[in-house]
Amino acid sequence: MTAAGTLGVRPLRASLIRRLKADYFSTPLNALVSLACLAAIVAIVVPLVRWAVINADFAGTTRADCTGGGACWVFVKARFGQFMYGFYPPSERWRVNLAALLMIGATALSFWPGLPRRALTVPLLWAGLLVVAAWLLAGGAGLPRVETRQWGGLMLTVFLSVYAGALAVPLGILLALGRQSELPVIRLVATIFIEFWRGVPIITVIFLASLLLPLVMPAGWDIDRLIRALVGLAFVIAAYMAEAVRGGLQAVPKGQWEAASAQGLGYWQTTGLIVLPQALRISMPAMTNEFIALVKNTSLVSIVSIFDLLGIAQASLADPAWVGMNMEAYAFAGTVYWLICFGLSRWSRHLETSRKTTH
Amino acid sequence: MTRYFYDKRVREIFWQVALLAGLAVTIVLVVRNASQNMVNAGMASGFDFLWRTSGIDVPFVLTSYTPESNILALLWVGVANTLVITFVAAIAATLLGFVIGVARLSPNKLLSGLAGAYIEFVRNIPLLFFVLFWYFGVIAALPGPRQSIGLFAVAFLNNRGLTIPIPTDGTAFRIAAVVVLAGFLAQAAIAVWAKRRRDATGAIFPVWATGLALFLGVPAVAFGVAAVVSAWDVPALRGFNFRGGFVLVPEFVALFAALATYTAGFIAEIVRGGIQSVVKGQWEAAYALGLRPNRALNLVVIPQAMRVMIPPLTSQYLNVLKNSSFGAAIAFPELVSVFVGSALTNTGQAIEIIAITLAIYLALGLAVSAFMNWYNARTRLVTR
Repeated sequence: MTAAGTLGVRPLRASLIRRLKADYFSTPLNALVSLACLAAIVAIVVPLVRWAVINADFAGTTRADCTGGGACWVFVKARFGQFMYGFYPPSERWRVNLAALLMIGATALSFWPGLPRRALTVPLLWAGLLVVAAWLLAGGAGLPRVETRQWGGLMLTVFLSVYAGALAVPLGILLALGRQSELPVIRLVATIFIEFWRGVPIITVIFLASLLLPLVMPAGWDIDRLIRALVGLAFVIAAYMAEAVRGGLQAVPKGQWEAASAQGLGYWQTTGLIVLPQALRISMPAMTNEFIALVKNTSLVSIVSIFDLLGIAQASLADPAWVGMNMEAYAFAGTVYWLICFGLSRWSRHLETSRKTTH
Repeated sequence: MTRYFYDKRVREIFWQVALLAGLAVTIVLVVRNASQNMVNAGMASGFDFLWRTSGIDVPFVLTSYTPESNILALLWVGVANTLVITFVAAIAATLLGFVIGVARLSPNKLLSGLAGAYIEFVRNIPLLFFVLFWYFGVIAALPGPRQSIGLFAVAFLNNRGLTIPIPTDGTAFRIAAVVVLAGFLAQAAIAVWAKRRRDATGAIFPVWATGLALFLGVPAVAFGVAAVVSAWDVPALRGFNFRGGFVLVPEFVALFAALATYTAGFIAEIVRGGIQSVVKGQWEAAYALGLRPNRALNLVVIPQAMRVMIPPLTSQYLNVLKNSSFGAAIAFPELVSVFVGSALTNTGQAIEIIAITLAIYLALGLAVSAFMNWYNARTRLVTR
């Protein structure tokens, strides 16, 4: 065989055909499966592309501009501001954008390898960010006030996810430590707390928070309904986070405790300096997965008339000027959720493979 | 004094007492505020409202409930609907999940790619999305009764739901259910007897064969006979709508479809993980011991795969139970919808109603996990 023959196009194509034959048409059954799959892919992808791209309308401002028979993306374009910001006043939307930028910056900084004293600076950074972002969004102290009633859309989904997550992580760590505690009363209280919130549907928790929280507060106290939903979500997610952290705690060998005790360290020193850092590293992927579940579950706040991304997409269908735009609204909301959650899950998988620790 | 401060036992007791005291103070404050607020708002308390006439019309009732029944009967409607949707959705999700999970492991990359795409699609979108999509996007877009999609000419799917035939008299089916239960008990007895005999004599009784017969054969025959014997009320188009049969309302169909397709994505991953967890060496070791392939599968591979799959499957079944509450978003009359929704609006007794609802979910959840834990304990790895 000549050099040209081994490197040439023809043998490569021949080997491709051979490989296709081996992989997809080795037996009659395999061939049947391959053809069925191919048919399924064609049956799904072709109409989808035709609807979403080929016959779709992108330009224009009203319903009348949609003449192609496919998707009417004009609707999404017209509603884009609401999908992103809810009823947040357009003149104040820069505050949301600024808060989002700050959050992206804080995330980047948290993972910057050169950050000094990470265990201390990252929580402080986020605590500061949460205060600043809440001030930016709600207003006050100079900025005009924007009622939480006006918040909505993707901004609210992100807000609920970040704040509920930020409350749930420390609470979850405390609960996990409580459940592993040697002190029976603490262990029992933590276990009951965790099992209770894990055992009831999240919808009932949101109802519970929105109906009962005002009832158990001293007369005259009024808690914002967004805060109520946030507290409900945070408790549930803390219970799930606690179980994720417990998995990590259980994976830290007992010898680590014993070695720390032998060094004369007390409970909090051992936990904070030796055990928790290892446990959290192990449970990071599980905690990320719980966070994904949280992002998806924030959609349930629409049950108490708080309009997050899915809620506002659903509500937009009631507009008589845009009757019948169900598919466009769902396609848009679904794609945004999918991109966020898929990105997070890829990241979680990346953590799982890149940070493998061994004992 | 400092001696006590540094005493580990004293400190341990101090922390526990502090926690209990904190909890007690919180509870006292909460109860005091709640009772004060309720007095101020003139709200009633107690459970007497359960015996009041509900006056609420429910579109999907499996019990003998009417709007003249009391609220306790309404609660039972919600529980029954929750159990039914959970049961059928869990079964459908398991079947679909097993198929997709096995397909994910297929050597055919097209098939495994399709299964993978389905899993990644479903797992990264909120369940509420699917519920709304199936309800407002799919079922609402179906044709009206006159252009129904017929399924074998006995069931009809249209934008008013799925109309299925029902037997006019359920006696034959009740007898069939008893026969099926007897079959399950017989299988349990055979399993115990076979294990005892195997431990004593080493003789292997084909438990799987009798299990297959008793778990699939007996129910199939019993229900088949019941179906033939019973008189059926078959839906038929009269004028603008169907008469006869039983209507599974659009809310039921949408919630069922959403729960089944969503949960299947999670079960598929569990199945894939379970099968992959059994290393190839186990097959080889089983063959080296002279086991035939089906024995190796039954005695070596499946028990190990099940052991990995049962705890996460339990969580998924509990999730289906809890997620059935998503019916509240489309007003399917399950527990949350009829009780926390309708009954609460009518009576205003938020504390009692939410407490009852939470207690029912906790009790149902505990029952499911108790059963699955019992099953898990039977199959788990016993190490020294």
